[in-house]
Amino acid sequence: MAMFAALVAVLGQLPAIPLAGGVPITLQTLGVMLAGAVLGPWRGAGAIVLLHLLVAAGLPLLAHGSGGLGVFAGPTAGFALGWIPGAFLVGLITQASWPLRLWRTITGTVLGGILVVYACGLPVMAFQLGLSLEQALLLNLAFLPGDVIKAVIAIMLTQPLARAYPAPFTHARRRRTSHGPAR
Amino acid sequence: MIPLYRPGDSTLHRMPVGAKFLGIFLAALAASLFRENLWVLLTIWTAVLSGYLFAGVGLRGLLAQLWRLKWLVVVLTVPQLIFLTPEETGFNVSRVLAVVLLAALFTLTTATSDILAACEDALRPIDRPLRRVGLSAERISLALSLTIRSVPVILSFYAEIREAQRARGMRPTPRATVMPLLVMSLRHAEETAEALAARGVR
Repeated sequence: MAMFAALVAVLGQLPAIPLAGGVPITLQTLGVMLAGAVLGPWRGAGAIVLLHLLVAAGLPLLAHGSGGLGVFAGPTAGFALGWIPGAFLVGLITQASWPLRLWRTITGTVLGGILVVYACGLPVMAFQLGLSLEQALLLNLAFLPGDVIKAVIAIMLTQPLARAYPAPFTHARRRRTSHGPAR
Repeated sequence: MIPLYRPGDSTLHRMPVGAKFLGIFLAALAASLFRENLWVLLTIWTAVLSGYLFAGVGLRGLLAQLWRLKWLVVVLTVPQLIFLTPEETGFNVSRVLAVVLLAALFTLTTATSDILAACEDALRPIDRPLRRVGLSAERISLALSLTIRSVPVILSFYAEIREAQRARGMRPTPRATVMPLLVMSLRHAEETAEALAARGVR
């Protein structure tokens, strides 16, 4: 959990990788999706909680070295806080069975990694800026392609990782042994 | 990893963490509850200005903070000018800025270690219910310090991966970078868990 919290932090610091169209994006939300998908709901969300505690304590762990309590007072606070239920849902859906099913990973990543995060982020932003929800959504449409790309990368990473290195996927593996025959 | 904290010896620095946090929380709450009230806004801006001057951060520090927030200001202002009147925009932007600056003041005047210690103290009274769900104050603070320690470790993994990629003339696509980073981090986590278990920490 601690390691993954640190991984999400590091992904936010890496030089933004320019993707198609030259739009630079940071990989921090990729880390959030992966935290849920790899660690499962409880430990995935736990990793994000750890990260947020350290950010609130004044360490510059969010994208581009931002941090401190100010993050949670600004208009994007909802997005950052939305990562917690987001990672939880990604883990819950992705790790509902073992071996992982591709359709579950896709549904989980899109619902938890994008939809839940936006559902938490947009109302806060709209409230802080005095905009309507539709206007806030319009503002954030620019980020949607990047998030979709990150969801695709997360899915492309999770599936082979589960096959090659199943050790961290404890939530899914435990579910199988509790229903099916013992290992 | 350099914390955003600035050492100093003002009253703000010496205030207990909990009280400071509560004050800022209440100010932020007031700002969002009385959003149309000019007086509340002015009071908070006065608090921000006097706080920055008082804490020895000074005007220069305040300007540095504002410079850090330059993108926030752009992101805040431009879209609002499209949807709202300039007056409302000015009001909104200054309100959000005041609250963010006030919260940043907390970060500037409170050592990270003090905040973490305060966090641990706050967890201690609820240690028993925490234990029921498999957590404890000690485990949480251990996880927090492990996280801090892991950031430079994982950054060094990244440097290793980049070097290997450069040696082979590879383009650093996100996928080719994150996959080895994931595996190395997870393996390191396993090793750390083993080392902790060997020392009697579960």
